[in-house]
Formats: sequence, C-alpha cells, structure tokens
Amino acid sequence: MNALKQTKWMVIKWLVILNLVFVGLGFLFLKEPVAFALGLVFGSAISGLNFFELANTLNRAVSMPPDKAQGFTTVKYFIRYIVTAVVIYVSIVAPYINVLGTILGLVIIKIVILGSNLLSDKNYFRNIFRRKEDESSGQ
Amino acid sequence: METLITGKALILACSAIGAGLAMIAGIGPGIGQGFAAGKGAEAVGRQPESQGDIVRTMLLGAAVAETTGIYGLVIALILLFANPLVNML
Repeated sequence: MNALKQTKWMVIKWLVILNLVFVGLGFLFLKEPVAFALGLVFGSAISGLNFFELANTLNRAVSMPPDKAQGFTTVKYFIRYIVTAVVIYVSIVAPYINVLGTILGLVIIKIVILGSNLLSDKNYFRNIFRRKEDESSGQ
Repeated sequence: METLITGKALILACSAIGAGLAMIAGIGPGIGQGFAAGKGAEAVGRQPESQGDIVRTMLLGAAVAETTGIYGLVIALILLFANPLVNML
C-alpha cells in the first residue's frame, strides 16, 4: 500500500513541476500567458483530483467480487468523464481561460506517467529494436 | 416550395453528427477500465499479499487509458461550442 501512496505523490510532484515549466514557457512565448496559465492550472488540478479519485476507486474495486468491481469502476469512470466534460465546457465558454491550456493540463498526467515509468527505462528502448527470433527459446 | 439549406446550417448539422461520433471514443476506456478492475479483483483474490503492486500497475494503466477518452470529448465539445469551421464560410 505504501508503494501506491508513493506513486500517487510522485505523479502529483511531477505534475506540478511540468505545470511550472509550461507556465514559464507560456510567459516566454505566448501573447496571453495569464489565460494559458489559468487554463493549465484549472485542467491539471482537475486531472490530479481525477487521478486521486481513480486510485481510491481501484483500491475499493479490488476488494469487491470481480463482476461488481467491473460495474463499479465503469460507473466511476463515467462520473469522472462528466466532470472532465464540465471542465472543458467551462474553459470553452469562459473568455479568460485558454482552452488549449486546459486540454494540456488534462493530458499532462499521461506525459508524466509515460515519462516516469516507461520512457525512463533504458530496456524499453532496447526492446524496441530487439528481435523476438534472437532470444533463446529455452529449449 | 423550395427549401434552401445554407452552408452554415449544413456545417452545424454535420458538426453535431461528428460530435456524436466522437463521443463513441469515451465508451472504450470505460469498458476497458471496468474489465481491468474485474481482472485485478480476481488477481487480488488469488494473491492478496501483492495487492499494492496490482493496484499500482492498474492505476498507471487506467490513468493513461483515461486520457484517450478525453481526446474524443475535446473534439466533440469543440465541434459543438467553438466550431472553427463556421468562420471559414
């Protein structure tokens, strides 16, 4: 259970760091950096909360019977989906929030997870070019 | 009597159909997450001591899968509420 908590906080830590990087880049290169920063913070805050909610959902789901866990997780997913829809709608309607910033904030968690768990592993890149036929079959 | 369909009306109608089609992308991750959670529950039932590892792996996979649904949602909402094609007429 400790590993799970550690992973959650590691993802949130990198989320904040990447947020700061993108806000800095926005202030350097964009015409309206405040709207972009607001959108980014708005999107990534909801994204982080959704991630915590997902962790709680899965933690509860694994202690249920499999068929009940399946329904429970799907229902929770659609609740999070509706929350995300409201966030994107608000950022489209409100003129002081940049919608691209919000979208980037919502998908930044994917960048964090792929960057910290998959792309940080050298074996991942090595295995891309390794042919299955070259491995010994063990026979 | 002749009814005229304006270009804008046609674009809006097609955008609404496109938004509906884009929302199909949101169903897949829901089904997938539910399936993964069901299998995760089975795995924890078999090996209760590795619950932390199972939930951790499932969490990272599910979070990545969830963003795929968001792409479809973004396309649908932009087509409905901030359609860039209408201004091209």
